[in-house]
Amino acid sequence: MRGRSIASRRRVDHSMRLAAGCAATIGILLLGWILATVVSRGVAALSPVFFTRLPTPPGVTGGGLANAMLGTLLMTALAAVLAIPTGLMAGVYLAEYGRESRFAATVRMAANILMGVPSIISGVFVYTFLVATTGHFSGYAGAVALALIMLPLIVRTTEDMLLLVPSALREAGLALGTPRWRVTRDIVLRSASKGLLTGVLLAVARVSGETAPLLFTSLNSPYWPQRLGQPTANLTVTIFSYAMSPFRDWQSQAWGAALVVTLAVLATSLVARLFIRVKGV
Amino acid sequence: MMSTLLVEAPAREQGLPAPAPPSSPEVKIAARNLDFFYGERQALFANSLVVYANRVTAIIGPSGCGKSTHLRVYNRMYDLYRNQRATGEVRLGGENLLAPGQDLLDLRRRVGMIFQRPTPFPLSIQENVAYGLKLYYRLRPSELMERVERALHQAALWEEVKDKLDQPGMALSGGQQQRLCIARAIAVEPEVLLLDEPTSAIDPIATARVEELLDTLKASFTLVIVTHNMQQAARVSDYTAFFFEGRIVEFGATRQIFTNPKLKQTEDYITGRFG
Repeated sequence: MRGRSIASRRRVDHSMRLAAGCAATIGILLLGWILATVVSRGVAALSPVFFTRLPTPPGVTGGGLANAMLGTLLMTALAAVLAIPTGLMAGVYLAEYGRESRFAATVRMAANILMGVPSIISGVFVYTFLVATTGHFSGYAGAVALALIMLPLIVRTTEDMLLLVPSALREAGLALGTPRWRVTRDIVLRSASKGLLTGVLLAVARVSGETAPLLFTSLNSPYWPQRLGQPTANLTVTIFSYAMSPFRDWQSQAWGAALVVTLAVLATSLVARLFIRVKGV
Repeated sequence: MMSTLLVEAPAREQGLPAPAPPSSPEVKIAARNLDFFYGERQALFANSLVVYANRVTAIIGPSGCGKSTHLRVYNRMYDLYRNQRATGEVRLGGENLLAPGQDLLDLRRRVGMIFQRPTPFPLSIQENVAYGLKLYYRLRPSELMERVERALHQAALWEEVKDKLDQPGMALSGGQQQRLCIARAIAVEPEVLLLDEPTSAIDPIATARVEELLDTLKASFTLVIVTHNMQQAARVSDYTAFFFEGRIVEFGATRQIFTNPKLKQTEDYITGRFG
């Protein structure tokens, strides 16, 4: 066996460390660059009017995107209402009841596949049965498309978080003569509550920035979202159409909208991380 | 005051001449021909064992010999896992607790369990102790509080927690958490308390406190303790069963097992020649 010198091994170690460090730096630099661009271009568009008024035609000053913000909020909230209870329950089933069953394995695989499905497919799918059949775009369809994206995320994080609860804790509950459902409700879900909240928040953050599924479902609107049964204004599709437009003021507003979405997603993620931090204590 | 009274009774008992206490104690649990399977693999072979009421029975033996497996039959804990099954007979009082119609919730009210790692629920100290009580009884708040206090006294934890009953149980030290779990288990007044290596995750001082506690608890409960610590078995138990590879090699009064074992295998294990 031929010996290799300490010096050459040290050199390889150094170069690997350097390469990894560079890659890490590229990652953080890109994030910084994106944030800097969005902030510097977006800040100019932000004003009280931006947050309170309806959009105006190009060239007419005094327009805002209040309707799009409200629409995005409403659709995300409705999607959350649809996906969170279902996702939590399904996660509970996978972790607590079905653990080793074939049905659970199938559900788990389906959730994994669903997580990998491009979000535009979710939009097209909902289009076929909620838009094509009713004959018009609607906020409901948008919310369903977003819920479809949230669902597998919540199912899987719920299962993972529940599996982190030590089985001795479940056994301790059962050993006291507690029925299974109460063990799940009082002990397992409670123990995992912070992790579950984190998972839910991250799922909400994830869908609140989605554009593709809304293009085919809620579309967009220049009006207030009075009913979700009609095309519904939202920030992301607005960014898409305003950014593509040839008008300076619309382009500027697109940057403003991008900044609002970014900050909202960032804030949600940060709050979620905060819960993880608290959990670690 | 109450706790000192409780300490004295069993202490007198221990002073009695060993091995056999004069009046033969009542049988609480009788296992006969108990076999246990993890899927295809058999873990217990024809275990027959008698657990006497108001005594401490220790189960000792090397790792993987089936100590915990045997213990977990007494409250049917294994029922949680679909590929585990037990055959044979385990009588608690008159009934075979392995019988198909056995009401598990009722069995577990009668047979409590303490685990290797403390398992406080994510609730306050008071809610932890009250948890089992609320399952079985409709109590007025004052009664509930009274019984919580009594259980904490019995678990020798009251003095340490009386001023912070609404703090999370998880905030206690490991040894306190274990005594909290004991308080929670005895609050519902079970007949039997199973302890699965209850001190292996806590420090020596906390261990000593739990061991003292066992001595007072046997006045009111029947205790079965699995331990890999032979000194502990010698200190706390009245009877000892030595397990090896899923079989009960020897069972008898603790003093006899530790001073005059009938079998060479038992002696080798106890003197540390193997295991």
